[in-house]
Amino acid sequence: MNLDDELRAALRREDPSPGFAQRVVARTQSRPARKFWLPRLIWATALAAMLVFGFVGAFEYRQMKAERAGRDAVLALRIAAEKLNMTRDRVLRRESADSREN
Amino acid sequence: MRRLFLILLVAAWTAALLPAQLLQLRITGLDGLASKAKETVDITLDSNLLQMAGGFLAGNGKDKDAKDIKALLAGLKAITVRSYEFKEDGQYRIEDLEPIRAQLRTPGWSKIVSTQSKGEISEIYTRTEQGKMVGFAIIAAEPRELTVVAIEGSIDLNDLSKLKGLGVPAIPIPDQGKKGKQE
Amino acid sequence: MLTQAAAIPEMLTDDRERFAELVREHQAMVFSMACRYLRNRSLAEEIAQDVFLQLYRKLPSLESPEHVLHWLRWVTAHRLIDHSRQQKRRPQSPLEDAPEPAAADSMDGADPLLAHTLRELVAALPENARVVMILRYQEDLDPMDIAQALDMPLATVKSHLQRSLALLRDKLSRKRGVGK
Repeated sequence: MNLDDELRAALRREDPSPGFAQRVVARTQSRPARKFWLPRLIWATALAAMLVFGFVGAFEYRQMKAERAGRDAVLALRIAAEKLNMTRDRVLRRESADSREN
Repeated sequence: MRRLFLILLVAAWTAALLPAQLLQLRITGLDGLASKAKETVDITLDSNLLQMAGGFLAGNGKDKDAKDIKALLAGLKAITVRSYEFKEDGQYRIEDLEPIRAQLRTPGWSKIVSTQSKGEISEIYTRTEQGKMVGFAIIAAEPRELTVVAIEGSIDLNDLSKLKGLGVPAIPIPDQGKKGKQE
Repeated sequence: MLTQAAAIPEMLTDDRERFAELVREHQAMVFSMACRYLRNRSLAEEIAQDVFLQLYRKLPSLESPEHVLHWLRWVTAHRLIDHSRQQKRRPQSPLEDAPEPAAADSMDGADPLLAHTLRELVAALPENARVVMILRYQEDLDPMDIAQALDMPLATVKSHLQRSLALLRDKLSRKRGVGK
């Protein structure tokens, strides 16, 4: 077996967790509906199903939003720390240079 | 003269009553830089998102760093970061920072550190109320990188400076600055 | 089959259930690209959802099922690269510093340990090389298609492939003697 084949095997596609498509559709619910041409009964049934999935989708969406907020917060604080220490170092270098001159 | 005095008195009194959110630093005037930057970091987290972030880190951060970050987040109300990295010099002007610096010259904000050398400017500002820090801002301008960080809320700069293995001692907070120089 | 249907705007923009079908048709591709790139399933699902939401808005302007496929690959690849650049300030382990893979018992092509190792090594590649490798070995695109998908010069795509494969071979051969 050569590396190409092993890479193809290792990187073959896999599906996301069950209900992925429903979750995506649930998120589209917040958008204004475009023209509906489905018969009313089918539309009502689809709407009821989407409401159910919508609750599930909303909860999972909130979880993902929390994860993204967590990642952003970590990055923001790391950037702040980096610049804080960079500034501190510059001040210390300047003071060190000043004291050498004196 | 009396009228002028009354106007100033009313203005000062009104400023003292300004709700905290009106004193929040708005990072503005930098929107056009994203299209010129090779890398952009654009983060805006309000108190709601910070709360969610804290909840996420509480459940997912097992290492000390996550605990430290969660502790830092605890006192915060908002974080805003705009950071741009450019391929070449001259992609922004220092004047682009003027809308931000103008806000940082208003009462309540103090510049505690300022360095300038070889085209690099670093400034740190804090805002205090009743002796307690309630805001923090950094402007770091380099030839190919511009970063502005605005944090609203209570944060310990010493703890922030220790974040993630940078391994440098804590920055002196304003009332300890003179002690640091004497050492 | 959805791909045999008529013009996309007419069919899909009115009908969320058919959009769900479209998502199911392409979800493995989008999700897997993100998952192989990020090595994080939940983040991969989040990004995949964002891509499909963007597709939902974009559908009226897409002209054919092939256009959808090309568009999805393009958007997914660029979102992943942008995400990676935003995270760049975090400590990263370049491939050269990646730990040597543990020796496995079997040289079988279906060796799960080897597959896991390869996925880890690919995920440690630099961002552009990583997405090139994923498009090559997950999507089975040839270098010209990859260059079009990423709007990248063909020579650059080939260079990424050659260098990445050489790096992977080097990492693996130290432990396993895996051939070419």
